[in-house]
Amino acid sequence: MPRLRPSLFWAARRDISPFAALLLQVCRDLPSTANELRWIREHIASTSSLVPSKLRLWKMCEKRAKGVPLQYVLGTQPFGGLEIKCRPGVLIPRHETEAYTTELAQILLRQTPTRLSILDLCTGTGCIALGLLSLLPPPVHVHGIDISPIAISLANTNLDHNTRLGLLAPQPSSIHFTQADIFSPSLLPSLTPHAWDLLISNPPYISRGAFARETARAVRNYEPRLALVPDRDDETAGLGCASEDVFYARLLQLAGVLTPRRAFFEAAGIEQAVRVINMVKGDARLSGLYPQVEIWRDNPHKEYEVQRFGDHEVPFRGSGGARAVYLCQSDQL
Amino acid sequence: MLAAPWVCRSCARSLRSVGSPRLLRRASTIAALPPALVERARKIAAEHDKLTTALETDFDQKTAVRAGEISRVATALREFEKASASLAELRSLLESNDTELRELARDDLESTQAQLADLGRKLSVALTPKHPFADMPCLLEIRPGPGGTEGRFFADSLFRMYRSYCENKGYPTRIVKYEVSESDGQKGSEGEVALQEAVLEVQQIGAYGEFRGESGMHRVQRVPATEKSGRTHTSAVAVWVLPSFPESPSTDAESEWDNPESDFYIDVAEVRVETMRARGAGGQHVNKTESAIRLTHMPTGTMVSMQDSRSQHTNRREAWRLLRSRMAQQKREAREELAQKLKSSVLASSQITRGDKIRTYNYQQDRCTEHRSGLDVHNLPNVLDGGEKLGEILESVQGWLTERDIQMILAEEQADAAPKGKKGK
Ligand SMILES: C[S@@+](CC[C@H](N)C(=O)[O-])C[C@H]1O[C@@H](n2cnc3c(N)ncnc32)[C@H](O)[C@@H]1O
Repeated sequence: MPRLRPSLFWAARRDISPFAALLLQVCRDLPSTANELRWIREHIASTSSLVPSKLRLWKMCEKRAKGVPLQYVLGTQPFGGLEIKCRPGVLIPRHETEAYTTELAQILLRQTPTRLSILDLCTGTGCIALGLLSLLPPPVHVHGIDISPIAISLANTNLDHNTRLGLLAPQPSSIHFTQADIFSPSLLPSLTPHAWDLLISNPPYISRGAFARETARAVRNYEPRLALVPDRDDETAGLGCASEDVFYARLLQLAGVLTPRRAFFEAAGIEQAVRVINMVKGDARLSGLYPQVEIWRDNPHKEYEVQRFGDHEVPFRGSGGARAVYLCQSDQL
Repeated sequence: MLAAPWVCRSCARSLRSVGSPRLLRRASTIAALPPALVERARKIAAEHDKLTTALETDFDQKTAVRAGEISRVATALREFEKASASLAELRSLLESNDTELRELARDDLESTQAQLADLGRKLSVALTPKHPFADMPCLLEIRPGPGGTEGRFFADSLFRMYRSYCENKGYPTRIVKYEVSESDGQKGSEGEVALQEAVLEVQQIGAYGEFRGESGMHRVQRVPATEKSGRTHTSAVAVWVLPSFPESPSTDAESEWDNPESDFYIDVAEVRVETMRARGAGGQHVNKTESAIRLTHMPTGTMVSMQDSRSQHTNRREAWRLLRSRMAQQKREAREELAQKLKSSVLASSQITRGDKIRTYNYQQDRCTEHRSGLDVHNLPNVLDGGEKLGEILESVQGWLTERDIQMILAEEQADAAPKGKKGK
């Protein structure tokens, strides 16, 4: 990381406030420093505490300056119209995830049977599950699964929290979160009888090397490795894929049995997305089940561009970096 | 003995000593309330009488609506004529042989004249068409012109000026966007920051009507805090006033958004939505706190970006609101331009185009000049604090706008009265 010019620190002190000079170390430029300081102030003004606000401000800025993600400092991250609580130990929802979740809801809204059933594997804070629930007309059935008990407890907290804020209509019967390992053989029996409209997952997908080299320091030092890096050597050997792709191999296995109408998986970038598509195309059953395959970019708007990979052509939706793979059964996209 | 003067000498003197050319201008405008205008008002009043008589015997929805529309002209004309009549009477009394009567008449003259001026103004306003956005709240967009930091500092001054003006008037406001650029630690002489772009919403019914005259280039002349040689710099800031829908997604606003006839309608398929990201890996690899949204209306190239909120959802909503407001303003301007092209060229001189400077703030001379109404105001600090001096300026611009509208109507009357013989309709 290049050193910041000392003049910039003076600028932060003089232009904004002494707190800004602290934040500048992690924000790197004045406009975003000003933004973060404003958000911290707004947060303090909107929450009550016995601690004097000046002291709270100082503590929060200090924590943030150490590199702690702002979402852990403030305890929340907006997601669609929801306020998702964030706690150390559970991955913070990303803007890209929010963008495709919003767009996906639009698609489901347009062409859907009445009672939608959605399965969200590796649900974390529950942001995708809750986000879809908030955007789709009831009744919707949503099931979120995660291996981490902290995540499951947080997802339930988020359900309550957003219901209490009035951001979600009260409908407790139609959503639930359960703790399970998606690699466990006992997972399928608990899910099979349902006709799923969507199987969605944002699984851990960063390779060990990329984790060390390409992740931001705030991510590496403060977010749970369990949520980011697939460490499943036994299963990897069994499924015969790269270790960072092992969740997709398992997710596709599950899709083959559960036959959801649509499947949607977030991925690290173009290479991984193409590898996932090759897994689908290389499997006669899956490629028959899902003739429609798309890659979604970071800004998933309506424009398409078709690219060729080996034998097949793949439509890319939107603009920006490749972010997800979308599979769909024959008659609907 | 002196002939009865239009404005008595002591009044004229006091006006001059106050140094308010605005009042003089106004008085002279009213003195010459154009006969064609009064004629038009009479025609409308006659129509109003006819319609109300018709309504008494036979109620009809359309007739009632029209009668309602023109009733304010009829009322304003009645009052104006009443005041003219009393003035004429007072004048004749001034010729009287009775000293006491003359004294009384003289006492009343001044107030009656003022009343007449006021009623004349009301009549003009009643005659001029109301701007279709006039009753809406508005967005004030403030952006520095090309050039150095000095313009950005002044953009912040204008932002503060409008905000405190609204505060003083009790108008609720909301900062929709406030984007600061890096200034390397410099600050303006009044502690301003280098503003890149700001949008202030004035959430007051009728704010658009009140502020619409603020659109245009505002010029500043002053010695920047950083200027060692004491040289005066000139820079410019653009202010655009846009109509804004009230925040609550009322059924009203939403139906307007979906109605292709409405100025606020945008074909969603023509807008590209982008969440801007720094280059490099995204997704799980990084954890960004900012969630900027950029909307581009592709057919016109109009672009809006928003990143003030932590929430992508909020940024998206605000960006759409701003884009709709900009598009509505553009469509309206295009229509106005077309309408003016069709009319006679009298108006060419009073047209303001986007690049014209409308006002100058001169710090050394402690003066603010409003170029359209010709008003000069001293006490610049009061103006920049959004005090009553700014109120005077805004009022003078309203007067100018009304005058322009009147000229438009007169041009129309002339065109109507001209002997028919041209080709076409
Ligand atoms: C990248 S995070 C995604 C969280 C959330 N869906 C989101 O988009 O913000 C991956 C999640 O997968 C969970 N996870 C990791 N291994 C798992 C497994 N074997 N079975 C189920 N969940 C697992 C982690 O606990 C983590 O919450």
